[in-house]
Amino acid sequence: MKVLIIIPAYNEQESIENVVLSVREHAPFADCLVVNDCSTDSTKKILRRLGASYLDLAYNLGIGGCVQGGYAFASENGYDIAVQFDGDGQHDASCIEKLIEPILSGACDYAIGSRFLDGAGPGFRSTGSRRLGIKLLSALIYAFTGVSIRDVTSGFRAANRRVIELFSREYAQDYPEPEAIVAAAMKGFKIAEVPVVMHERSGGKSSINAFRSLYYIVKVSLAIILRRFYSKGAN
Amino acid sequence: MVPALRYALLLAVALYFVILFNILSRRRLNLRYSLLWIISGFIMLVIGVFPEIMTFLTRLIGIKEPANGLFALVCFCLIIILMSITAIVTTLNEKCTRLVQTVALLEKRIRELEGQPVRPEEAEAFEKTGC
Repeated sequence: MKVLIIIPAYNEQESIENVVLSVREHAPFADCLVVNDCSTDSTKKILRRLGASYLDLAYNLGIGGCVQGGYAFASENGYDIAVQFDGDGQHDASCIEKLIEPILSGACDYAIGSRFLDGAGPGFRSTGSRRLGIKLLSALIYAFTGVSIRDVTSGFRAANRRVIELFSREYAQDYPEPEAIVAAAMKGFKIAEVPVVMHERSGGKSSINAFRSLYYIVKVSLAIILRRFYSKGAN
Repeated sequence: MVPALRYALLLAVALYFVILFNILSRRRLNLRYSLLWIISGFIMLVIGVFPEIMTFLTRLIGIKEPANGLFALVCFCLIIILMSITAIVTTLNEKCTRLVQTVALLEKRIRELEGQPVRPEEAEAFEKTGC
């Protein structure tokens, strides 16, 4: 089984070193690929020093295009499983094994690491208003696809070969996480949620501030609804 | 429609087509994207030649002045063209994303190929055969 850990990174000079080292330590069975989304700080320098395997994007594509680059690499190099793992230190590398377990056993095609499931442990659960937004999107995804996922914005996920192929062909560009779940569900892939620990980001700034939250909710809701209709038209 | 407006319209349409074909002939505008412009210009031309059409249509939907109807029609044409431009930009954006990703994959391969130390047996074969 070839496993690839995709780490999208945009200006993560404070955290990227620890993230790469902890992934190497906790997932020695996997290859690690950092996708440097045209960082303007010393992220690239750190990656070179670490001897990390990395993709260097010529323009800043945003999280969607960045992660998709990783999936394209996984698809081209015949990886069986791709794990998405944030470069800001939010995710816990010790949970990678647990996350890919249901994929290895064939229980699901796409596994989402969740903060909210029982057994997720103590760890960071986001702020109240964000949790409300996540609940709203979760309910919307359930209403439109029948798939029940609680932590729909989680960027800690694992995909099998067929989902890798799908994502390397098409992947939403901004705020892609909830849409990716819908895209996979529409293609009939089995999606499961796995409890994981998350931390508050150890460095850098979240790409989502208060003002963008509304745009996030509106845009993603619209995308979910549109996807439902696309797929109806295609059938 | 008052005659003055009609002549102004015809004059504007003539100027419009001169500019349009000038750009087209210098290949500054892709013929594929110019179709909407040509169609809009043609509609204006027809209205300039037969203003009765505009008078009839505006009365039909309850607009008093044909001039206002003309104004609404121009707005409509512009909106359609703007929408098509957004669609074109979306396609370009997607292609650009793909391109950046593909270049990144190739760049990684080159970086690794160049950085890789030559294996001893390869160096030996090179010394013997010279290729």
